[in-house]
Amino acid sequence: MPGKVSSLAEAVARVEDGSLVAFGGFAITRCVVAAAHELVRAGKRDLELVQVVGGLDTDLLAGGGCLRKLVFSSGSLDRFGPLPCVNRGILDETIEAEEYSSLSLTLRLHAAALGLPFVPARSMLGSQLLTKLLDGAAGVRLERDPFTGTPVVALAPLRPDVAFVHVDVADENGNSQIGGPTWSNREAAFAARTLVVLAEEVVPAGSLDPDAVTIPGPFVAAVCHVPLAAYPTAAVGRYDYDRRHLELYMVAAGEGGDAYARYLDEYVYGVDSHEGYLARAGVVR
Amino acid sequence: MTRWSPAEMMVVAASREIADDEVVVVGLGLPQIAALLAKLTHAPGAALALEIGVFGACSTQSSAGIADPRMWEGAGAFSGMIDVLGYLLHGGRVTLGILGALQVDEAGSINSSLVVKDDGTVRRFRGSGGSNDVASLAGRVMVVMRHDPRKFRRCVDFLTSPGRLVDGGARSAAGLPGLGTATVVTDLAVLDVLDSGLALRSVHAGVDVDAVVAGTPVPLATSGARETAAPTDEELRLIREELDPHRWYTA
Repeated sequence: MPGKVSSLAEAVARVEDGSLVAFGGFAITRCVVAAAHELVRAGKRDLELVQVVGGLDTDLLAGGGCLRKLVFSSGSLDRFGPLPCVNRGILDETIEAEEYSSLSLTLRLHAAALGLPFVPARSMLGSQLLTKLLDGAAGVRLERDPFTGTPVVALAPLRPDVAFVHVDVADENGNSQIGGPTWSNREAAFAARTLVVLAEEVVPAGSLDPDAVTIPGPFVAAVCHVPLAAYPTAAVGRYDYDRRHLELYMVAAGEGGDAYARYLDEYVYGVDSHEGYLARAGVVR
Repeated sequence: MTRWSPAEMMVVAASREIADDEVVVVGLGLPQIAALLAKLTHAPGAALALEIGVFGACSTQSSAGIADPRMWEGAGAFSGMIDVLGYLLHGGRVTLGILGALQVDEAGSINSSLVVKDDGTVRRFRGSGGSNDVASLAGRVMVVMRHDPRKFRRCVDFLTSPGRLVDGGARSAAGLPGLGTATVVTDLAVLDVLDSGLALRSVHAGVDVDAVVAGTPVPLATSGARETAAPTDEELRLIREELDPHRWYTA
């Protein structure tokens, strides 16, 4: 196998229980569904997940029992509804929640990516988000600007052990292209100790237009070729979200208990790969 | 009876708060429709950005939300959150933020996180996302929400984003730039947020001042309230035919 190309199962096998994982999805777009399924299938436990805005990938990890803690700013499946398993886990206190504003959390990743001791920011001042974080989170402090004396929030670096990010095209050396808006994907990718990209297409080294590269190869540890990796969420310019499968998920996850267990049995535990899931979901034969 | 729905009036009233030279960060749903209506009518020069890294989208397709690629149609640029919430917003370039809210208080502080029900149980919603950033950092903020007495609170269930005052004091003392929440536009009225609290600027056609007061269980100054200018035929056509043809937001 040339360059950094690896199977997703191999990449997931290297994730240790208790790791801090970053996911690149956002609500119903470019969710790393294939990685979430693989982590659930592999029975990973006590993971901490950092994701600026959670989506289907987040909810699967919560529902699959892999998640001890979620570090995030928001999450939903857009009009399909809130994240049922995440919200249930937070309310029944099986999942610890650490909530930020989008920019504050992105800046913690940015600080880790740049190797900065902290980043000062004005977001969250005077909010209950900050009050709660000052109470619990080790990485947030209320300080004074050394130059003007005004209050400022100091945000410590947050370095994921491993990040899973969906990309359109990657070459064998890991140079990766993301189409459309990238939300906090670059910050998560540059901050992570190990970056795994789930690529819709993998091309030979040197064949990507350098102008189109979102994440340069040296940051990438593993390139996994996973067509339809984000299904049933959307991949910009490639495929739409699947309304019917998302609705089916929301019914099972909303109900929880046996209904959700049946969903996982059918679509996650009952198959051995993303290809198997796509076949089970009726997307490919 | 008016020829328009209360939600259509709300969108029109909100759109008129947007001036042609503004740089605007827009939240989900109604704020998005109001901003696009302004672009298509009196404010073609307004620059709109979505927190995920979309600049200048002018989608007229109904979308499932901010992460639905349909919403990004017509964008001039794609980038990331640091560009919109960092360089643009934290950098001080955003003149107006438009947000929805689960609840607001008299100072325009916003709850977008959770609601404590009468029986004491908690219902969680999306959470802040970028709304705290927008409320903290934009030049001023407009809240667009349905006028429901449960949404106006002396004390919000969770203070996700600060308003015009922070703990009753000036924003600048708390380290925050900008005015905070300046206006709350609802399906009944337009409210200004002043240092002294909420003041009724105008009531929509067909709405009684008394009905607004009854629906606003926090102090509300009503002297000088006018009637909100009615929607034009062109505004209603744009909402119905182009911006919300499925009537997801403005029914």
